[in-house]
Amino acid sequence: MTTLKVRVNGEDKELDVDPEMPLLWALRDVLRLTGTKYGCGQALCGACSVHLDGQVVRACVTPIRRAEGRSVTTIEGLSPDGGHPLQRAWVEMGVPQCGFCQSGQLMCAAALLAKKPQPTDADIDQSLAGNLCRCGTYTRIRAAVKKAAGLPDGK
Amino acid sequence: MSQPVTMTRRSFLEGLNLSVGGLALGLGPTLTEAEARSKVVPTVLKPNVFVHVAADGVVTIVCARSEMGQGVRSSLPVLIADELGADMARVRVLQADGDKAYGDQNTDGSSSVRGVYDDLRRTGATARTMLVTAAANRWKVKAVDCEARDHAVFRRGTGESIGFGELVRDAARLPVPRAEDVRLRPRAELRNVGGDLPLLDGPAYVNGTAVFGADIALEGMLVAVVARPAVVGGRVMRFDATRALAVPGVKHVVEVPAPKAPYLFQSWGGVAVLAENTWAAMRGRAALDITWEDGGNETYDSEAFRETLLASVRAPGEPFRQVGDVDAAFARAARVVEAEYCTPHLPHAPMEPPVALAWVKDGACEVWAPTQHPQAARTEAAQVAGLPESQVTVHVTLLGGGFGRKSKADFVGEAVYLSKQVGAPVRVQWTREDDIRHDYYHTTAAQRLRAALDEQGRPTAWLHRTAFPSIRSTFSTDVKGPVFRDLNQGVLDLALAIPNVRAEACEALAHVRIGWLRSVYNIFHAFSVGSFMDELAHARGMDPRDNLLDVVGPARHMSLAELGVPKLPNYEAPLEKHPVDVGRLRGVIERVTELSRWSERGKDGRALGLAAHRSFLSYVAVVVSMKKDEAGRARVDEAWVVVDAGLVVNADRVRAQMEGSVIFGMSLALYGAITMKDGATQQSNFRDFRLVRMAEAPRRIHVDIVRSEEAPGGVGEPGVPPVAPAIANALFALTGTRARDLPIIRSHRV
Amino acid sequence: MASLLVLVSTGACRRQPSSESPRWETLPQAEAGQLRPLDAFERIEDRGLRSQALFLEASRVFFHPRCANCHPDGDSPFQDSGGQPHSPPVTRGPEDRGVVGMECAGCHQDHNLELARVPGAPNWHLAPRTMAWVGKTPRQVCEQLKDPARNGGKTLAQLVEHNAHDELVGWGWNPGAGREPAPGTQAHFGRIVAAWVATGAECPGEEARP
Repeated sequence: MTTLKVRVNGEDKELDVDPEMPLLWALRDVLRLTGTKYGCGQALCGACSVHLDGQVVRACVTPIRRAEGRSVTTIEGLSPDGGHPLQRAWVEMGVPQCGFCQSGQLMCAAALLAKKPQPTDADIDQSLAGNLCRCGTYTRIRAAVKKAAGLPDGK
Repeated sequence: MSQPVTMTRRSFLEGLNLSVGGLALGLGPTLTEAEARSKVVPTVLKPNVFVHVAADGVVTIVCARSEMGQGVRSSLPVLIADELGADMARVRVLQADGDKAYGDQNTDGSSSVRGVYDDLRRTGATARTMLVTAAANRWKVKAVDCEARDHAVFRRGTGESIGFGELVRDAARLPVPRAEDVRLRPRAELRNVGGDLPLLDGPAYVNGTAVFGADIALEGMLVAVVARPAVVGGRVMRFDATRALAVPGVKHVVEVPAPKAPYLFQSWGGVAVLAENTWAAMRGRAALDITWEDGGNETYDSEAFRETLLASVRAPGEPFRQVGDVDAAFARAARVVEAEYCTPHLPHAPMEPPVALAWVKDGACEVWAPTQHPQAARTEAAQVAGLPESQVTVHVTLLGGGFGRKSKADFVGEAVYLSKQVGAPVRVQWTREDDIRHDYYHTTAAQRLRAALDEQGRPTAWLHRTAFPSIRSTFSTDVKGPVFRDLNQGVLDLALAIPNVRAEACEALAHVRIGWLRSVYNIFHAFSVGSFMDELAHARGMDPRDNLLDVVGPARHMSLAELGVPKLPNYEAPLEKHPVDVGRLRGVIERVTELSRWSERGKDGRALGLAAHRSFLSYVAVVVSMKKDEAGRARVDEAWVVVDAGLVVNADRVRAQMEGSVIFGMSLALYGAITMKDGATQQSNFRDFRLVRMAEAPRRIHVDIVRSEEAPGGVGEPGVPPVAPAIANALFALTGTRARDLPIIRSHRV
Repeated sequence: MASLLVLVSTGACRRQPSSESPRWETLPQAEAGQLRPLDAFERIEDRGLRSQALFLEASRVFFHPRCANCHPDGDSPFQDSGGQPHSPPVTRGPEDRGVVGMECAGCHQDHNLELARVPGAPNWHLAPRTMAWVGKTPRQVCEQLKDPARNGGKTLAQLVEHNAHDELVGWGWNPGAGREPAPGTQAHFGRIVAAWVATGAECPGEEARP
């Protein structure tokens, strides 16, 4: 156990944990930030997606030591008030069904829009390829990403 | 079964943090006036609350069915609110704990709206009646001179109104009116019901505050991860926990007893590692040294069993549906069409793996779990804890998907057992591997269909043989195969206008723990029948749409005699209220083929496939369009779904369920299966159990809801069964080859 | 699994090989999972043929799934040993490091993860298209490797250094989680590549296979 300093959602945190502990469990079990979800533990489902210095990582396989001295953003930190254009589009268009995958979907979509403000269908398919949704909300996710980007959703 | 509406006991309200001074109504046995007003209520009563109006006007509505994405929290409360005349913006929704007082809380079988529709309306109407009476008394006018809407009671003809909150003190002193004195609103006055309603928990889902099963933590809680035997019925022979206990954070290693058949909701058994955090528990489990004994099912091989099932349907079974003389009709047939279809085991694989938190302490047990069946969870918890149910509380969190997995209380029982063993709150976390390997699998099946055609190509006989290990094997031993009521799902209620029909159930023994997966036996009955309809159409040289309409026959309610059955389980609904209505079936077929421009199939390479199915009292027809991508794989690029579910409450959630059903149906049709070798599951995570991903989802899914005032039918499941056969039929249109075994990836590039 | 093939000289060699010299097919069988010892190549007296044989030995590493999986001809890597597509589906991206949200380093760490079964090594990424090996012959790979325009501007000496010591290359022999490693060891592979360069870095004929 060592003390690791990580900035999470704009706040400096000190964590006394096994440096190999995945970021997911540091966030959920130690910091009690439960918006990031466990879905598979093998980087196959995307439910654990967060930003590390602005880039998407799968927290379930990212050792906490990799986040040392760096900045982590979780779903709780995507916006101060739920007002990110993606969050608003998601709610307006009734995207979630069970909701469990949606933190990951939003974090990946947010990274996409930050890099590509006008994504194509292919961009969305490729960037969200790692995010599984068992309830099947894919078509609404696509439409909501386009809405948030100000693109015609083509419906 | 409608229960009378009653006043709710004070102490119950306090337990829910609802103000005692408000008006609170639930459903329950009749109270006398005196009992309703008194502070002491007879102990035999178990009052509940469905609607509470506080003095500040906040209306609390209790949702007693579990939210797993089907939108029940965005639908059921609206029934009460609309009857009451409440403004949904001033309504908050509480999730009910598991308690018989709420009636049936089992969120399964697509029964939430259809099961409680009448009761919830009456509850809302009763509250409205009491508030109106209180206002009428105050104004000294008749109740008919008042109306309740927009969260207040208005006096007709004047501008006067009194807000609900101001009326509750008076209203709570009134006797609860009898059912015959409560008038339900005319349908047109239900403002929100039937519309596109907002997703109640939308903001919480998108900001990370929604609370799922693993999101609750208690002081001193330990997280448990359990090593379970690979083979059904296997058990621990010996284990060494030394290295596990050496992992920092690991506190205990506890053996969980093996179940005795029949399995019911018992834990799978194994060895649990309990630790301060999930990571330590996972590492601890990986460090266990366990020797297992297999227990007898280690010879089970799902590929070999497929042959066993096929052999079973190649011989006569027990006839459960008979019209005319099928054998004679085959004997004189001009032509016979026949085909066999096989479907594999499937896992539920909800995005949230099973998880439960339990705390057994001081002769009581408290549970937090994403359970579809809170009362079964309560019973299981009580049994495992050795406590009376009255000492067990089950809180229901949001569910990250269920699909039937979370109706089974085994994971709750595990948490209770471990908490009792170690004397601390315990969260049992199933990993994805646990979920894929140790699920209550959807059963595997073989179907054999045969049709006789006469000289004119008209069908004169239909024989359907179905073989599958039954879910009943999970609940009792000595189950040899499907029984009559198992065939309710897509065999007994199948609409046919053929003079000779027979359906037989053939034997199949269970070698795994079987459960119910979204739409259950309809999955393979619809796949086989829907594909066979298409094969029949091609044999007859007919347009598949025309053939389907011809085979199901004219609009009518099919009698038991016409169906050829002595009775029909009919999803526990009376046949008079929910007949086998061929007119509604034809309606969705006609509408979906119109929307999908069916007459243009084949033009510009449009490969379309059609299927329709009645299940859970609703009628759904699906058309899918398939195309080849640049890599030559067959892809679903567009889908149309028409659903007739009778009266719907939240049209947007119905639409979402149909969209989701297309994806769910695509996954089981195209990609993922569970295979077993040497008694153990070969898959373990999403790499070897494949689900549809974003890039594979169709460009468009069009959903059309038939506007209907018929009694509500199911919505959560009925969209699934027609999808796989529609895909198989589209694939045939695209490639000229047919897939009769699922998943299609076994035989085709998809 | 060495299979003996006829080494067909298609005019790629500049000199006529000595008809007395032993050839590739006379080499002893390689042990499973091993590379042939260097001294086994000594028996091929002809320098050119020895060079080609050394390259063919090295190509047993290049074409092994642990290496070839990330040297695809298209936009996605492979997985396992039968050319299965990488799951979840990933796309090359403009810098061979994945697209937004699906960057290689979003999942792959600098070391293997045993519980999660995710392979890892420093600088995990796809080989650029110019270094695609899947679907190529050993000769084509040889020519690619020698061409500074296609090998990242490396001299032959740098190529040897890269193969012998690069950590991502080295992952092929330490893949974790029950994955079959490339044959031999990185050090042995490095010596074979060095010996190939020392004997003139000759490319085998178009039909030659390891």
